[in-house]
Amino acid sequence: MTTQRAEAASGTAIDIRFGQVGLIQVLIWTTDPGAILDELTGRVATAPKFFQRTAVSIDLGPLGHEPSAEEMQGVLDAVRRAGMCPVGLASGAAVAQALSRPLDLPLLPPFREFHPPAEAGARARREAPRPEPEPEAGTLAQLHAHPVRSGQRVYARGRDLVVTATVGAGAELIADGCVHVYGALRGRAVAGARGETGARVFCQDFHAELVSIAGVFRVFETLPPELAGKPVQAWLDGDALRFERLGA
Amino acid sequence: MTEIIVVTSGKGGVGKTTTSASMACGLARRGKRVAVIDFDIGLRNLDLIMGCERRVVYDFVNVINGDCTLKQALIKDKRLETLHLLAASQTRDKDALTEDGVRRVLDELIADAFDYIICDSPAGIEKGAHLAMYFADRAVVVVNPEVSSVRDSDRILGLLASKTHRSVNGNGGVKEHLLLTRYNPRRVANGEMMSVGDVKDILGLDVIGVVPESPDVLAASNAGVPVILSDTSDAAAAYEDAVARLLGEELPLRFLDEPKRGFFARMFGG
Repeated sequence: MTTQRAEAASGTAIDIRFGQVGLIQVLIWTTDPGAILDELTGRVATAPKFFQRTAVSIDLGPLGHEPSAEEMQGVLDAVRRAGMCPVGLASGAAVAQALSRPLDLPLLPPFREFHPPAEAGARARREAPRPEPEPEAGTLAQLHAHPVRSGQRVYARGRDLVVTATVGAGAELIADGCVHVYGALRGRAVAGARGETGARVFCQDFHAELVSIAGVFRVFETLPPELAGKPVQAWLDGDALRFERLGA
Repeated sequence: MTEIIVVTSGKGGVGKTTTSASMACGLARRGKRVAVIDFDIGLRNLDLIMGCERRVVYDFVNVINGDCTLKQALIKDKRLETLHLLAASQTRDKDALTEDGVRRVLDELIADAFDYIICDSPAGIEKGAHLAMYFADRAVVVVNPEVSSVRDSDRILGLLASKTHRSVNGNGGVKEHLLLTRYNPRRVANGEMMSVGDVKDILGLDVIGVVPESPDVLAASNAGVPVILSDTSDAAAAYEDAVARLLGEELPLRFLDEPKRGFFARMFGG
């Protein structure tokens, strides 16, 4: 009774908020459950902690045909047996729309849609997107010694990214770990790309357009004068992105 | 040993064709055998700047398609004996260029013992620009001292570092040079224009030349005489310096400061 009264006092039973969460996408090139299970179990074994009981969204984009609900049920079973939990269909592919109801999985809007290369053969398509195996913990940072120019993107998978040259406006640095720039940072820096909230961004000469850590980002339309051109670090403090001049 | 130099910028109207014509003339005047190729298929301009538009019979696309031989299409400059032009096609579009076709033309020029092949790139980053830079050993990136030109040049430098024959095959990459054009020291001093230092800082490259803004450039273009050949112009001297630096000479940059005005000019506002 007391709890009911407390709820009545606050006037709400629930809160609805908009939040961003990182979600693993499983892109499927085939609906053969055996092939999927084989590959997934192999992949999960390389980083069991990372993949076990992980919520994943199924992306039908690369698939060459429209699968039936039964076919997809087999795919979902394979994914579950590999230890992952399918929670939705990436809504990029048109076929996902039709399958959402019979499979009882919601459509999840993607940030970027996947377009399979039209001319590549089926074999090539299966080979191309295969990501590198999960790197072991303690792998050295990825070093980039050339200027990163406007329109270029550098991604350090599973580790830190160190750039020892300038990063132009319109260039993108992405790392699953921290981003370090020993030069001017005029472009974008994305640290903790897979949700690592302890990741940080460091740079020597701060002019960034955008800084993001574990999905929390800030766009700099105008640079704060206390940061512009200064050595700066950025980190995540709870939900807030903090910036501080280094060595001040 | 033939060297292929692309003159490129990303942005249009910054002076690529003017630079191609002047650099080609400058090199030829020093006795080098030079072929300059207009890659701007459909918007043929280089022949106008070089003053030989009425002598274009066959063009680059004709050579690629085998309609004529390279010898038939190369136009010999009337002023400088060792300078040759391969004009763009005015009636075709950029899809007429193929990687294989461009490679064959360049190989033939190399076999013919040209010292330099200058590729005048079209604006943009599409096929014409891509093929103009693809086989280059060196690149002259033409940039105006303003933000959009600098941004586009940064983009082009990124492509030079990743989408060229040298970078793809790991042959040490394309050697990159920066050439500033339309530089106006008075406006730089007033803070209305980016300085050489600003541009150098952002792009992180050495500057091979700074060409001052000058009415001589337009006059020369209209007359069909590459500006480097007009004796009294500062722009001509600046291009001459750039050619010297391209050949390895070390010269201090000129025309970075506002010219001193004489007593009478100041008195009478001349």
